[in-house]
Amino acid sequence: MGKTFAEKVLARNVGLDGVTAGQIIIARPDKLLSHDNTAAISKHFYKIGLERVHNPDVEVIVLDHVVPAASEADAVNHKVIREFVARQGIAGFYDVGTGICHQVLPEYGHAWPGAVIVGSDSHTPTHGALGAFAAGIGRTEAAAVMATGQLWLRVPGSFRIVVEGTWPARVSAKDLILHIIGDLRADGADYRSVEFAGPAIRALSVAGRMVLCNMSAEMGAKNAVVEPDETTRAWLAGRVTRPYVEVHADPDAVYERVIPYDVTHLAPQVARPHTVDNVCPVGEVAGRPIHQALIGTCTNGRLEDLEAAGEILRGKQIARNVRLLVLPASREVLLAALEKGLIADLVAAGATVLNPGCGPCLGAHQGIMAPGEVTISTANRNFKGRMGSKEAFTYLASPATVAASALTGVITDPREV
Amino acid sequence: MKATRIQGRIWALTNPEGRLYNDIDTDQIFHNRYLHITDVAQMGQYSLDNLKGWEDFAKKAQPGDIVVAGGNFGAGSSRQQAVDCFRALGIAAIVAESFGAIYKRNAINSGLPIVALPGLVGLAGAFHSGDTLAVDFATGEVVRNGQVYRAEPFSQVQMDIYQAGDIFAYGKQLEGQDG
Repeated sequence: MGKTFAEKVLARNVGLDGVTAGQIIIARPDKLLSHDNTAAISKHFYKIGLERVHNPDVEVIVLDHVVPAASEADAVNHKVIREFVARQGIAGFYDVGTGICHQVLPEYGHAWPGAVIVGSDSHTPTHGALGAFAAGIGRTEAAAVMATGQLWLRVPGSFRIVVEGTWPARVSAKDLILHIIGDLRADGADYRSVEFAGPAIRALSVAGRMVLCNMSAEMGAKNAVVEPDETTRAWLAGRVTRPYVEVHADPDAVYERVIPYDVTHLAPQVARPHTVDNVCPVGEVAGRPIHQALIGTCTNGRLEDLEAAGEILRGKQIARNVRLLVLPASREVLLAALEKGLIADLVAAGATVLNPGCGPCLGAHQGIMAPGEVTISTANRNFKGRMGSKEAFTYLASPATVAASALTGVITDPREV
Repeated sequence: MKATRIQGRIWALTNPEGRLYNDIDTDQIFHNRYLHITDVAQMGQYSLDNLKGWEDFAKKAQPGDIVVAGGNFGAGSSRQQAVDCFRALGIAAIVAESFGAIYKRNAINSGLPIVALPGLVGLAGAFHSGDTLAVDFATGEVVRNGQVYRAEPFSQVQMDIYQAGDIFAYGKQLEGQDG
């Protein structure tokens, strides 16, 4: 009987011939990701009574959630983290301005096919886009991994989502994953490993694959993966120098569900307030006025996302009553966008460009909303109150849809501008 | 050994229509504006203060109380404050139809008892705030007014961590086994 991706990666990690969905194993993660919450994690760690982390090379710490510090409390947390990093000799530390953890970790070679990556952030499944098994965990267990190098995991059951067809113009991976989440609902893939396969997935860049894996968390997935191919290898070249063994699911693997999709006639999709699974085609909400438009976050802050926005906004002006916020996902993305002239195009069109980081996505700073305001965002969550006031509204969409909406001041189908 | 059967007063997290809320996300349990807090004792006061109708939960809850909710409780962020805030209040257990995947891990690893009771939302009329509920973690038996419901019993690792106290204490036991 064949094995799924999750079963194969986890069996290899624990050195067993085979593990099966439902089995509880003690894994040894290759990488442990944490961000501003490392302040709390380090507190948990020292409480255990140990002086040194199990293996400093496993740690990847990225300051991204509230950067630069917006308050004294944030600044103190950042300082605690820098001291922890120095004391523990952690090389994989990326300070303010490097970018969002889910972009920085792969950029600096900490994600590779077959790796087991855990992170104290719910969007850690993002790294499945590079063929890794990547899952979100909590901060207590992150501290436990720091201490022991080990973590209990229940081997997840698997779904395989097979996507056929040709991508229409101005329809992207974001539209596909919103559509899927709308179908499967917020708990539809709870604790499952989700494998994305098929020709339409092969046609996606690594950035597009990251969008799918990133947002799988919004249907409850434990992890998501796009098995490696030439696109993956080309992206990893020069970033990952260590040898790795690619892991592919067996052709006769046993899935709880195999779900087919076809993107050929997919329209741009929008998630309406206040849940990510409240999805409809953009036409159903077109014309609703917006106050703010956000392009960025760990979902859609990559170069191709800024290019999609630039293509729509170049040489034009956004609507007078709209604030357009642009946050490149990392310094690398920002530099590439500068070189291509994209930042100049977006600023000339009226955008406010912010530093790489999570920005207002989680409502901490840099563009939180007043009561009654509406934001259309490329982020992954639109929970009530997430971006500030509980009486504000967040719509989620692709970079093209957000850019088109910024241009007109109302939610707009990007195929119509 | 810690007690595997507990009894406590129910807080049934119902919406204004009187039905159990589904998909209570981590921003409703512990809003992002408090994320800078790292002291668990300070977290209790903010529990559920972003859930409509439950803003004053922290003032009403008493140690030993049991929280009852609908499906996918704790969806969303990995923030552990959404578990720790209930620990800070001394909540004895959370009984829900189902839990978000990371929330489930966080609760188990923190030693906060959580029990999934499939079909709970359909039974909602049977669970009222103020009623007394008994929960047996080992058997999955949930009892209210003599009526017995079958929840999922603790898994072995969940029971081991609960008995040890939390993942750290459990980890020390594992290390001991390794010699």
